[in-house]
Amino acid sequence: MGRADFTYDFPHDRLITVDDLNPLDIQILFERAEHWHGVNQSPDKKHDTLKGLTQINLFFEPSTRTLASFELAGKRLGADVVNFSTSNSSTKKGETLADTARTLAAMHPDLIVVRHNASGAATFIHNETGIATVNAGDGMHSHPTQGLLDLFTLTRHFGDVGGKRVLIVGDILHSRVARSDVGMLNLLGAEIRLCAPPTLLPTDVDRWGAEIFHDLDDALDGCDAVITLRLQKERMSGALIPSVREYFHFWGLTTRRMEFANADCVVLHPGPMNRNVEIESTLADNAERSLILEQVEAGVAVRMAVLEQLGLRARKNARPGS
Amino acid sequence: MTPITIRNARVVDPATGRDELASLRIVNGLIDDIGEGIAQDDDHIIDANGAILAPALIDLRAAIEPSFTPGGETLDSLARAAASGGVGTVVISPTSSMPIDAPETVMALRAGLRPMPVRTLISAGATRNLGGETLSEIGLMATSGAAFISQGDCPIANTTTLRSLFSYASGFELWVACPARDAGLSHATVATESEAAARFGLTLEPTVSERMAIDRDATIAELTGARLMIDRVSTRDGIEALSRARKRGIEICSTVSIANLAFNSVDADGLDPAFRLTPPLRSEEDRRALVTAIENGLIDAVVSDHRPLDLDLKAQPFADAAPGSTGLEVLLAAMLRLVHEAELDLVSALRPLTSGPAELLGLPQGRLEAGAPADVVLIDGDAPWVYDVSDSASTRRNSAWEGRRFQGRVLMTMVDGGIVYNLKG
Repeated sequence: MGRADFTYDFPHDRLITVDDLNPLDIQILFERAEHWHGVNQSPDKKHDTLKGLTQINLFFEPSTRTLASFELAGKRLGADVVNFSTSNSSTKKGETLADTARTLAAMHPDLIVVRHNASGAATFIHNETGIATVNAGDGMHSHPTQGLLDLFTLTRHFGDVGGKRVLIVGDILHSRVARSDVGMLNLLGAEIRLCAPPTLLPTDVDRWGAEIFHDLDDALDGCDAVITLRLQKERMSGALIPSVREYFHFWGLTTRRMEFANADCVVLHPGPMNRNVEIESTLADNAERSLILEQVEAGVAVRMAVLEQLGLRARKNARPGS
Repeated sequence: MTPITIRNARVVDPATGRDELASLRIVNGLIDDIGEGIAQDDDHIIDANGAILAPALIDLRAAIEPSFTPGGETLDSLARAAASGGVGTVVISPTSSMPIDAPETVMALRAGLRPMPVRTLISAGATRNLGGETLSEIGLMATSGAAFISQGDCPIANTTTLRSLFSYASGFELWVACPARDAGLSHATVATESEAAARFGLTLEPTVSERMAIDRDATIAELTGARLMIDRVSTRDGIEALSRARKRGIEICSTVSIANLAFNSVDADGLDPAFRLTPPLRSEEDRRALVTAIENGLIDAVVSDHRPLDLDLKAQPFADAAPGSTGLEVLLAAMLRLVHEAELDLVSALRPLTSGPAELLGLPQGRLEAGAPADVVLIDGDAPWVYDVSDSASTRRNSAWEGRRFQGRVLMTMVDGGIVYNLKG
């Protein structure tokens, strides 16, 4: 049954994790993302969908691409967008997160986009303010728009990711991206594989509905897509991984290794890349294999779709005159 | 190469339980057949005159010294000492002076091993400088040929690091050898806590240090799925901890140092620095518990813990002397002594020197069977002799075994079908 056959309003007043979404929600978001994806390629990018609404991007972690992506998305939808980032936030002056949230709420924004290094921060902000909140990454927990954009990219590439064999390789333990991607892949019926050294796998990983590998060559066998995760610099110092060269030798994605995967297997990376750490430089630049720039493009469209749904609902639910 | 038949031998093989008078035929470095009347016309014949023919020994723990150390033990001198002791395969272990903690070191050692008379394997340092803080390049060292990894004599204090190490190594299915000592309780100790030792005013290690280390390491192994090698259990407390861990189904194995089987703390009561060892010598009760554990199959390997040292480091007051003794040349003789004293039967004594360590590392040698490598040792089980360190093939003279009387001596050692040691020259 298609969506046209009955009325369904996007029911959420926040986006904390992809686990909150059902297949119909995702269908709505992907349809709207596809719309905005086309609009973004035209010279007439600015629209007034969210005109009159205020969007605050509250970033407690350094970010370039995600912040820019959310800022562009809000502006192209006609919202007024304000960025607060760590360098100029009051937390540096000792303010608690609760006070920051209440202070911002008093300025009556309609949408808050939040990134924070503590798992649960986005839920906390939403509970404190009641304002529509988009989680732009909270600790090691969740990064739902990344999960949406990765699957939107794969869906555009394959038509349907159902039954496709998708491998996620890298630092799964510390990755909110991996958790969000796995949630989406499960929902859309992909066959999921995870590959990492045991020190970079969470202890509950056997309940993720994925097949676990330590050997990358084995993991790549028959894959249709590989998502490589960023290995953060502080993980390379010997507590969990002996060295960069050992990591690259066993878990770095290379053109030679890709021969174990299907001939048309594609490569994704959430960025920013460490060249020759998690991915061979020449492979990242291989236009036939790499969907990395497509992911960036999809990111703006997907975030527009999310902000649009939450913004329209916020406007509809606002008390007149308040 | 002319086939060789060793006839009239008492063929003893712990792997198969064989103990019978028979011949053993060797073709192209492999055991071709075992039985009666198997010699063929052109074979080179060795008459064993009823001597014991067993698999050559496999020693999981011996050390060399860094290249260009004045008077230092080299691979070459170590291999000659091993061959004269009936050892056909020896594992080079990491030490603080030579931590073997990089793939380049493993590759260099393996490149140097090829012309050696005995087979030499590497156990690589599990953490950088054995410091217990930073993982060494375990995967690359395994790729370069390391047989397993080891923390040497340095216990890891931090349990988070231990967890990472075990977890990481489990991905490569490598044994991780951990010294059975608690980093805090054993720090700077030189002997076992006892009334006698207390009178000497030494810093002492309680035996619970070993028990705690085994309990802790086994618990973390259970959490991570690591393969844990308890490196040199030495006390009854330790044996009990090991036994508990085995009952929980943890993948765990253990070794015992020959010194802890042959000596007890009374031997060290004269404060002779030759008996300054790690683990320290224990009570007679502890020693007997180790013998019983071997009899019960709880111990996988007995090791020489061969530790060559400059005598200047050894010629110090007991507490200041560097710990360790050479041991490759007496490993077999010291075990046979336990057989003569009716503490162990011959097969039980040979098992942790042959098939036990072979099974741990998945080696084809260490057994007498058609198709296995012809690594064998011929032993006069009764010959009396006295160990004289000045005759040692090792370049070092620090030995707790100097002047020790033995009954049972290596006559000949063969590796890969070639004679690498012959008592009669």
